[in-house]
Amino acid sequence: MKQTAGPVTITIKVLLTLLYGIPLFWILLTSFKSSADVMSTQSSIFFRPVTTAYVEAFNGELFTALGQSVAIALGTTALTMLIAIPAAYGLARTSGYITTIGLGLLIVFQMMPQTANVIPLFQLFGKWSMLDSVLGVVVADTALLAPFAIILLRPFFRGVPPELEEAASIDGSGMLRTFFSIVLPIARNGIFTAGTLVLLMSWGEFLYAVNFFLSPGSYPLSALLSQQVSAFGINWPGLMALAVLTSIPVLIVFSSTYKLLRDGLTVGAVK
Amino acid sequence: MTDQLASAPSPTTTRKPASGGADRAPARPRRPSKGLKRQNRLVFLIPATAFLLAFSVYPLITLVRMSVSKVNSATLNGDWVFTGLENFRVGFASGETTQALWRTGLFVLVVTVVGMVGGLAAAIALRTTGRWSGIVLAVMVFVWALPPVVNGSVWKFLLGDAGLINTIVLKTGLVDSAIPFLYDQHWALASVAFVNSWSVIPFNALVFRAALMGISPEVFEASALDGANKWQEIRHIMLPAARPTTLVLFVLTVVFAFRSFDLIYVMTYGGPGTATNTLPFLGYLQAFVRYDFGLGSATSVFTVLFVIVLAVVYARSIRREESDS
Repeated sequence: MKQTAGPVTITIKVLLTLLYGIPLFWILLTSFKSSADVMSTQSSIFFRPVTTAYVEAFNGELFTALGQSVAIALGTTALTMLIAIPAAYGLARTSGYITTIGLGLLIVFQMMPQTANVIPLFQLFGKWSMLDSVLGVVVADTALLAPFAIILLRPFFRGVPPELEEAASIDGSGMLRTFFSIVLPIARNGIFTAGTLVLLMSWGEFLYAVNFFLSPGSYPLSALLSQQVSAFGINWPGLMALAVLTSIPVLIVFSSTYKLLRDGLTVGAVK
Repeated sequence: MTDQLASAPSPTTTRKPASGGADRAPARPRRPSKGLKRQNRLVFLIPATAFLLAFSVYPLITLVRMSVSKVNSATLNGDWVFTGLENFRVGFASGETTQALWRTGLFVLVVTVVGMVGGLAAAIALRTTGRWSGIVLAVMVFVWALPPVVNGSVWKFLLGDAGLINTIVLKTGLVDSAIPFLYDQHWALASVAFVNSWSVIPFNALVFRAALMGISPEVFEASALDGANKWQEIRHIMLPAARPTTLVLFVLTVVFAFRSFDLIYVMTYGGPGTATNTLPFLGYLQAFVRYDFGLGSATSVFTVLFVIVLAVVYARSIRREESDS
């Protein structure tokens, strides 16, 4: 289909390019400025780039935070997928009132404001000695993201032809074996999509981290960033350098999964 | 042409995972003689059920219990005194809840309208397969994938007194002094709503784009032969194709706006004063800044009730969508 872009289309495209390009560019630009440059004018494009902000950012605190971020993101992704994959398959292949109630509850939990979860979880984790630990944050993040992952995964499992499973069971394959060797490989795109999204979301999550870790010493990157930006008298180059460092893993994950995200995201959203 | 439109596949049937292989499974799994065996699949629900009962359902019950009790930092781990609806009464009596409700309504309205219209406009503009469209779409999805703290930080910087936006408006001579984007109570709510819309547009654009990609090229060719102009194409071909997804996406956008707190946290922390205290954020501040966990829980119970209403609307609209396709 040949489409000539009209003036309106061009205008929207230019607008979108600016709206989404400039903030990204600005993070990078500011992270290479010196504090003095930012003091004099925050919006200059020409300046002498310095790596001071990065040099200052690389300290023990950063590596601890990076370690915490990696542990939380990987732990959450593993735990979430471990419970979400079977659940999504179960909900795709059953019907009746249990399935309906289950789906309804999942939708409610997917939509719950995180601020409503953090209050009781803080109390319960205190009682269960799960505060100030990576495990607590991983469990809370999993409770937050598993409903989303299940709802996203279910249509992928519904897309697996039931005839294949029936054929396998006629050949003597049990329920578990059919699940692992037939269903999972066919639904792998959905699993990668959901896994990537859970990874990205748990990487960026900070409300649980800020409230469940009792000292900033054990904060992950996202929480560290959230504290620096709401602090008084912000060191902008330092903050932006930290933002860049936090975003690099996202860029790596994003660039290797972009096509999957672009096409897979919309399936779960609408189903 | 209308016939073709009616039969234009809905995006959900055309854009399915590449590995999906054969046609979608029927809406209800066929269960001939193996009917009972199928229900065995319920065992797959056990791990998630156990986990969510402990870490989602039980906390929710705890939240409700806290909302009808006097809970502060001293009694958090002790015994709670039952106070009935006292926390709810206090919330309304102080005017905080009512104000937050209005603010939340306004905020959700702006984010939803801008997010939906922006998403549709972006989808229409980026529907072409050129390189520019591809890059812009990729950048938008990347921005969407970034941690909200990163996006909030850069906008806080851009909207500052000496930030890029103010530099531009000052240079162009539109205003004499810097606009207090984050310090004035009206501007602050508008700014936070704008950045929230900005961050939801990429997702909405993706979903609308999927709907538009489902339109077969012949439809456009036929309409071009009939002499349809751009607006008529949008009005009579694209909008009808996007309609089935619109309701679902609408609910999702409302939910996104309603539960938004991370950008508010980073950009204004609810301020100045109470200007950007939406209902969920107010609950958070009451619990974790004022340490009145009971009051915070009561406010949060309101947000949960609201979410339940939205969830019902959402469940109905996806059910309709699933039975349509």
